[in-house]
Amino acid sequence: MHRTKMAWLALGSAAILAGCERTPQVPGEQTMSTGDVQSAALATYVKPGNLDDYYLFYSGGHSGQVFIAGVPSMRHIATIPVFAPYPGTGYGFDEETRKMMGEFTWGDVHHPALSKTNGDYDGRWLFVNDNANNRIARIDLRDLKTKQILGPIPNTMGNHGSSMVTNNSEYALVATRFSVPIGEKYAPLDQYATKYKGAVTGIKIDPTTGQMSVGWQIMTPPFNWDLGATGKGPSADWAFWTSYNSERATGRLEATASQKDRDYVAIVNWKAAEAAMKAGKTFTSEGMQIIDPAKVPGVMYLLPCGKSPHGVDVDPSGQYVICSGKLQPTSTVFSFANILKSIEEKDFEQNTEDGIPILEYDDAVLMEVPVGLGPLHTQFDGKGYAYTSLYVESAIAKWKLPPYEEGVDPKSLVVDKMPVQFNVGHLVTSHGDTEKPRGDYLVSLNKMSKGRHLNVGPSIPESSQLLDINGQTMVMTYESYTEPEPHFAQLVHRDVLKPIEFYPKDESKNPNAIWTPAGAKVMRNAARRTVEGKVYAVRSYFEPGRIEVQEGDTVILHITNAEQQRDEIHGFGLVAHNLNAVIDPGETKTVRFVARTAGVFPYYCTNFCSALHQEMQGYLEVVPKGRPLLAYNAKGEMTWERREAPPVAAENGAHGTGRGH
Amino acid sequence: MMIKLPAASPALTRWLLIAAALLVAAAIVLPLWGMTLVSTQYPEGLRMVVYANRIIGDINEINALNRFIGMHPITDDFFSELRWLPLLFGASAALCLAAAVVNRFWATLVPLAAMSGIAVYGLVSMRQRLWQFGHELDPTAPMDLPPFTPPMLGGHQIAQFASYSYFTWGTVFPLIAAAFVALAAWLQRPTRSLRAVPARAASAFAA
Repeated sequence: MHRTKMAWLALGSAAILAGCERTPQVPGEQTMSTGDVQSAALATYVKPGNLDDYYLFYSGGHSGQVFIAGVPSMRHIATIPVFAPYPGTGYGFDEETRKMMGEFTWGDVHHPALSKTNGDYDGRWLFVNDNANNRIARIDLRDLKTKQILGPIPNTMGNHGSSMVTNNSEYALVATRFSVPIGEKYAPLDQYATKYKGAVTGIKIDPTTGQMSVGWQIMTPPFNWDLGATGKGPSADWAFWTSYNSERATGRLEATASQKDRDYVAIVNWKAAEAAMKAGKTFTSEGMQIIDPAKVPGVMYLLPCGKSPHGVDVDPSGQYVICSGKLQPTSTVFSFANILKSIEEKDFEQNTEDGIPILEYDDAVLMEVPVGLGPLHTQFDGKGYAYTSLYVESAIAKWKLPPYEEGVDPKSLVVDKMPVQFNVGHLVTSHGDTEKPRGDYLVSLNKMSKGRHLNVGPSIPESSQLLDINGQTMVMTYESYTEPEPHFAQLVHRDVLKPIEFYPKDESKNPNAIWTPAGAKVMRNAARRTVEGKVYAVRSYFEPGRIEVQEGDTVILHITNAEQQRDEIHGFGLVAHNLNAVIDPGETKTVRFVARTAGVFPYYCTNFCSALHQEMQGYLEVVPKGRPLLAYNAKGEMTWERREAPPVAAENGAHGTGRGH
Repeated sequence: MMIKLPAASPALTRWLLIAAALLVAAAIVLPLWGMTLVSTQYPEGLRMVVYANRIIGDINEINALNRFIGMHPITDDFFSELRWLPLLFGASAALCLAAAVVNRFWATLVPLAAMSGIAVYGLVSMRQRLWQFGHELDPTAPMDLPPFTPPMLGGHQIAQFASYSYFTWGTVFPLIAAAFVALAAWLQRPTRSLRAVPARAASAFAA
């Protein structure tokens, strides 16, 4: 039986050798030692009472908002409502913001861009695009409030390649993601390749007020314009956009628009576009003057770039244009000097795209850097390195910018790689798209968190990770969960911004502002069935504390928060009327509603203000039709028993200087 | 050392053949082969496990990812092998049982031949399938990947994924069964005509 035993043994070992399942190691996985954890904790901990170093303004995607976090703590500090109502600050409930939002109650914010002076952030405005409703908005950084929403911009469908700002805030960029018929309202989709067109647009920014208007618009072939970038230094007069679907395909674009090996980067001389607009070298579409680049030479060129490129970025020196083809594992570095030389020598491909000259790839390219799989966007550290997000590989690649030595191995240019969790889209470094990057922090804005947080059910946030990029190798130090859905962001040092702490009374230009309870006044126009009142709000009462109207009246209330003290915010919530105005100290807001239902409805302060916050309330008396109003005199002025002289707040905070600048 | 060869015992060969029948029958329900893929996004791994009649695991997710590189979707219907393998295993088990009843050398050669044939068929078709899946990529797919052949056994790196392939019990059991059948046939060998052989084999073992 000896032999049988041996056979058993042999078979047994064969079985074990055949192997069972084994989970391989995650490629490139990084582990943190206890020491690493401790230094990461120290590097990101901002102790109670201390301030973060940087403002992170990150887009809220289809939430329609902009979020502010502090870096390095990554704490969410505030939400700036832009395209969607936000009862927390009363946005979208008062007349001014309702009018600004127009008929839309959402937007899709992708790419925030800070205003710049001399190629660096100047702390004046933040521009954000709306990919959904073809708009662009301006946030004033003095009070971090949305001040203007421009659009829908004509000839634009899906404003994606937006809102990058030129070196001295001359223009913010706008581009169509989806091409549509231009010059005529409708053409069947079958005629996509010929009748449909795209457009790229420069939004003029008033240098003093920031007021936006359409500066120039250029008609393009029906590519899908993706990301934009503005030049710097030698390329400062130029704007760039990547495209996909140069196949001009319709249907399932994931395949039909991925057939050609190269798509294009559009290179626009915005100075030339500006001049063409001025000279009237345009035609009219949707009431807009629009440039046909085939007829106006020198405005637009096309540069072939790797398959379905996503991001295009210009390095801090403005000499190199970097473009990443998300379906090929390289970032392509183009020399702007070579691009200019080709343009000057008219060294173009024989073909054109609808009359637009195409530059020779080989003339412009400097290097194809093998950064990794699914490269999207690139940011800079000002120390000669670029950082590219790799969506498919779920990592950040750090690589060397030119100049390169002759015959350098492209692989050797990639000096470091950091896996991120998971699937990074955009990334942002401190002042990373300016001429003067700070080179200390990088935030990886990941598209998936895949439950790295406490389980909050199927609807989950994204994850954003903080990387320390001071050293030769990147170090991951923190992770936070960002609301849907960050695309791009801006990371700006806190010293650049000088926001006010409240609205100084002396600066108020609102004709309906009142600064004493005696100023409160309610008038009724019986003929027009409107009631208009000035309401005074201060700790802890409204004046008047009762307002009488007739059922069916249109009611307009101008509410002034007369406080001059930081954080003394008052709300005006009207029960059962879908109304909440939130008024910052020194601010006046106007609300308008129709008193449709007879009855008595309380209004109260919604934003906790003082020990007697609960007492800060009043009543709206809606008198049924046909019953006489009791509070109005012959002149239509409401009378009520006024309170005694104002006790505190308005005068109390008067030494606050307003900290305006 | 001299290894003593046991005398051919009808009981031993019969039990070997019955054991072989059970082992090969078990392969109908046991997993045969598997592959585990990990990447940064899938640290816990994506799994594909092949049974005689079906493929289970994270197949939907794997297919969703493979679509980007134009790989044919992995479905049970696509593999004719999954229709044949249970029948072939069943038939082998039946042949082993029949051989156990007859318990003669010539009868034992039948399952032995059948099982060797199945092993060759299995390995060849598997090798061909792995090649096919890594090479017959849809040229209109969004991403172009250089053609590749995932290994039958062991580790591999393709795009962002590290993979590990392995054989498991459904393959190992029929191999043991085949060894049992071979041993039974050896023990049942017609001694008269091959009298000299065992002695030579034994001395070879001893060396």
